[in-house]
Amino acid sequence: MELILAHHSSFPRIGDGADQQILRRTIAQWEKGEKTDEDLRAAEERVMEWALADQIEAGLDVVTDGQIRWYDPISHLAGKLRGIRINGLLRFFDTNTYFRQPVVHGPIERAETMVVGDFEFAKAKSSRPVKPVLTGPVTLARHSIFKDGQVGGFEQLVDGYTRALASEVEALAAAGARLIQIDEPSLVKHPGDLPQAERSLKALSAAKGGSQLILALYFGDAAPIYERLQALPVDALALDFTYSPNLVETIAAQGSAKQLALGLVDGRNTRLEDTRTVARQLEKIAHRLGSARAWLSSSCGFEYLPRDRAKLKLRHLEAIRQEFLGSAR
Amino acid sequence: MSREKLQKLGIDLPLFPTTSVGSFPKPDYLVKARGDFLKGKTSQEALDENSRQATEFWIRKQEELGVDVLVDGEMYRGDMVAYFAEHLRGFEPGGLVRSYGNRYYHKPIITAEVRWEAPITVGWWKYAQSLTAKPVKGMLTGPYTVMDWSFNEFYPDRRATCLALAKEIRREVEALIEAGAKIIQIDEPATSVRPEELPVAIDGLRAVTEGLSAYFITHICYGAFELIYPGMLEMPVDNLDLEMSNSGLDMLELFKRHRFTKDLSVGVVDVHSHVVEEDSVVENRLRQVLEVLPQEIVWVDPDCGLKTRSVEEAIAKMQVLVRVARLLRI
Repeated sequence: MELILAHHSSFPRIGDGADQQILRRTIAQWEKGEKTDEDLRAAEERVMEWALADQIEAGLDVVTDGQIRWYDPISHLAGKLRGIRINGLLRFFDTNTYFRQPVVHGPIERAETMVVGDFEFAKAKSSRPVKPVLTGPVTLARHSIFKDGQVGGFEQLVDGYTRALASEVEALAAAGARLIQIDEPSLVKHPGDLPQAERSLKALSAAKGGSQLILALYFGDAAPIYERLQALPVDALALDFTYSPNLVETIAAQGSAKQLALGLVDGRNTRLEDTRTVARQLEKIAHRLGSARAWLSSSCGFEYLPRDRAKLKLRHLEAIRQEFLGSAR
Repeated sequence: MSREKLQKLGIDLPLFPTTSVGSFPKPDYLVKARGDFLKGKTSQEALDENSRQATEFWIRKQEELGVDVLVDGEMYRGDMVAYFAEHLRGFEPGGLVRSYGNRYYHKPIITAEVRWEAPITVGWWKYAQSLTAKPVKGMLTGPYTVMDWSFNEFYPDRRATCLALAKEIRREVEALIEAGAKIIQIDEPATSVRPEELPVAIDGLRAVTEGLSAYFITHICYGAFELIYPGMLEMPVDNLDLEMSNSGLDMLELFKRHRFTKDLSVGVVDVHSHVVEEDSVVENRLRQVLEVLPQEIVWVDPDCGLKTRSVEEAIAKMQVLVRVARLLRI
């Protein structure tokens, strides 16, 4: 099995040292009117470059922009759409982080690009392929407030987000993205939404051009729906193994018709995994997948870790790959 | 109400006892002193003196307002988990992680066996209680929440971490009881985060409280209560303190379907709003509660700690709820 190291999505934007808090300081000053929009943009870009450099130095083969500009996984995208205003804070899944909830008050329309600019910036600064990430239509809809009379029902809301995201996927593909990740953590909590997800992913897939679409699931056990995930119209599945005691065995038993991004490194805890244990898990999967290519990744974005620990975890991915390659020889 | 238990403990409370969830805002001089301490510009002794002064302010203020069960206001604490992590062996201070927007907090890391070595809050409780004849609550963060809000590099899984913490937090409870605390609140705001882990939170709390002689309260807030009710009634405490006004009293529908079996501290003012509720708003909330629950079990307090409000807002919100509770006693 060929093992590619891929960064999942987010990266911490500040560290503990004063020199690593440029973005925190700049935002605070910008909020008080002491810094301009240009100052803020420059600080974000500087931190984005740091995040890219950390990933490349750690030996990752596929990197992301670290989602440095994102307020949160929901409102960053929804807030750029027409027909939506942004409301108060709610807990994001079982994390101790919060997102601002979109309130849908009219037809959803994409008025501007959402992440294309950041992708182009990161692509220009990176020597490795950059993977843009979008939160998927089902997860956006699941975290939105809406009234049936205004947008139809939940399905129509998913369709509205899908149309907006399909335009973004098309623009990302045109800008040169070879891999595009769609995050749908809500699907493991609400497997009943799989039919809607299938329809929306079909629309996103139709817009992807020559790029590959990765569906990322996390914060829940994907093993019970693994077989159904295999039928979805995407090129690859990114899976969180930290909630799933049986996922390795499930893949070893069922194989995969799609490429897999194996989230075997915990993105939510600082403990460094035992390389031998993870290598054994990889061996079980490799035994079934044969020479297929797979990505080794974290279970979710690294934003839930302090920056110094996230950097250690990035480097740990390479240590695990070396352990796996050594044991495979 | 578990009045018999309270009476056995020597505490006689009126109908609709008033209290607060725990934290009050820190006065400006204390905020400055804490900042100076972090920068090494002031000593621990000087900081403690400022904390004592602020504690006294809040004890006097609660007495003046007519609150029935007092708190020390947590003037000596920053974060509710990091404070305990700093005082228990086995933790390392963690780096900054984002909470939302541009807000960050230090998330502690469990790197070795957790050990309680000496009383953590007892000195502050004793000081607060020495200032008043009214009961002052002992205030702790529960094992499930400390586990959920820390990184874990030592214990094999979340249950083991929670139970190990419970064993040590129990020692702090024992120390509070030995010092004379009769009412002890063990906050578990993380309880509703993973509904499937409710049994872990319950087992943790049981390990903390079982067989100990005090009136126990646990505070839970801002979660999906509908997913853990009625299971949360299994929590081994006498009183559940719930955020209710922020969520539009939607718990009442659940109480209608399945009888509430403990005492209930009802959050009647929103702690995240600058607006001080009108008396009529709070009265209306309480009357709705009393349509569903017997009056003997109802305590009255804010939704959560008031530390994010200004001193003036916190006082005004407490004033309203005390006034309304008194009105309803008539």
